[in-house]
Amino acid sequence: MSAILRDAMSQQGTPESGPKNPGDGAAWSIVSYLLSGLIFWGGAGWLLDRWLGTKVFILVGLILGAGASLYLVWLRYGRQ
Amino acid sequence: MNVAGAGFEPPSSADFIFSPFIGQSAYLTKPIALVFLSVLFISIFFIVAAKKAAIVPSRLQFAGESLYGFVRNDLGRDIIGPEFIRFVPFLFTMFTFVLVNNIFGIVPFLQFPTMSRFSFPVVLSVLTFVVFHATAIKHKGLGGYLKEIMFMPGVPKLVYIILTPMELMTFFFTRPVTLAVRLFANMFAGHLLLLVFILGGDHLLHGAIGLKLVSPFAFTIGIALTFFEFLVQCLQAYIFTLLTALYIAGALSDEH
Amino acid sequence: MKGTLNLVGYGLSAIGPAIATGLIFAAYINGVARQPEARGVLQPIAFLGFALAEALALFGLVLAFVL
Repeated sequence: MSAILRDAMSQQGTPESGPKNPGDGAAWSIVSYLLSGLIFWGGAGWLLDRWLGTKVFILVGLILGAGASLYLVWLRYGRQ
Repeated sequence: MNVAGAGFEPPSSADFIFSPFIGQSAYLTKPIALVFLSVLFISIFFIVAAKKAAIVPSRLQFAGESLYGFVRNDLGRDIIGPEFIRFVPFLFTMFTFVLVNNIFGIVPFLQFPTMSRFSFPVVLSVLTFVVFHATAIKHKGLGGYLKEIMFMPGVPKLVYIILTPMELMTFFFTRPVTLAVRLFANMFAGHLLLLVFILGGDHLLHGAIGLKLVSPFAFTIGIALTFFEFLVQCLQAYIFTLLTALYIAGALSDEH
Repeated sequence: MKGTLNLVGYGLSAIGPAIATGLIFAAYINGVARQPEARGVLQPIAFLGFALAEALALFGLVLAFVL
């Protein structure tokens, strides 16, 4: 059956070429990067807070994580 | 919700827990039965659709071929590129499995999207994780792959301390987790919405006369939400498979 | 009704980034529709704008749990 399907598919005119839109899915990757940055550096800030007994490092960590992930998004998707 | 008087319990996550049909084993519940039913349905549909494969297709064969062609072309060839054909069975199985299980959320008498139990999307996401990392490692070698993830070109060396843990975390943790959670949360929220409006409408129907007049609105919104849920279910199946294909394409790509 | 004020705050704060994402991608689609060759030039700008808007949305989500 797969041979018949492959014949029928390739008769539809479009040649089998390379990827046509490889840039899609960047939106989801961006959300992943932002989440990772927030969670990782926010988590690091939170652990630092627990170690030192302060309350401020978690916010510092979150802001640093957001900034770093925005920088990473710019590196990967913002320049061509 | 308390306007309807005492006795209305808003649907909660307890509505997603089913007791077994027979006996005590947790493997004989409604979601498990629905998953087996979906596999049976998909297998029978595609076996029958491909049975008498003619050049001029019958309607059933056309439906089966359209679905297969959509996954093979739009999700396989256009995204993965030259080596796509060996991933098409995986992508196709995943797409039809998620689609049929999602649509069970609005089919009468079944009415439970099995992907709203968290363990099902987790398994699918773990499968994607294994496939995409194994492909990348086979293609680039373990050292090369890790080097490519961790060290982006064009960045001053000191910034690597900040960026590398985030990249690693994205590839090994955030991507699979968001893949599973996206599917789960959409199906869970959709099912809960439908429960609220339809059960609420039913409760209003049995209330005082003023409430009885309001209940058709609840049912109308329930019907509209059912159509909306159908759209979301198909879309979520598509997005899950699209992201799987994109991750595989990223694993196979040679440049950055 | 159970829950905390955190969730109400998060719900309200999710309106902004949603509208922002819609506006950004509407502008992107408009630009590509008027001149399809501009797609490669507009794409990084669209993604940067989207990342900035989404950062605020995720901030709201994380802070709803943290605080």
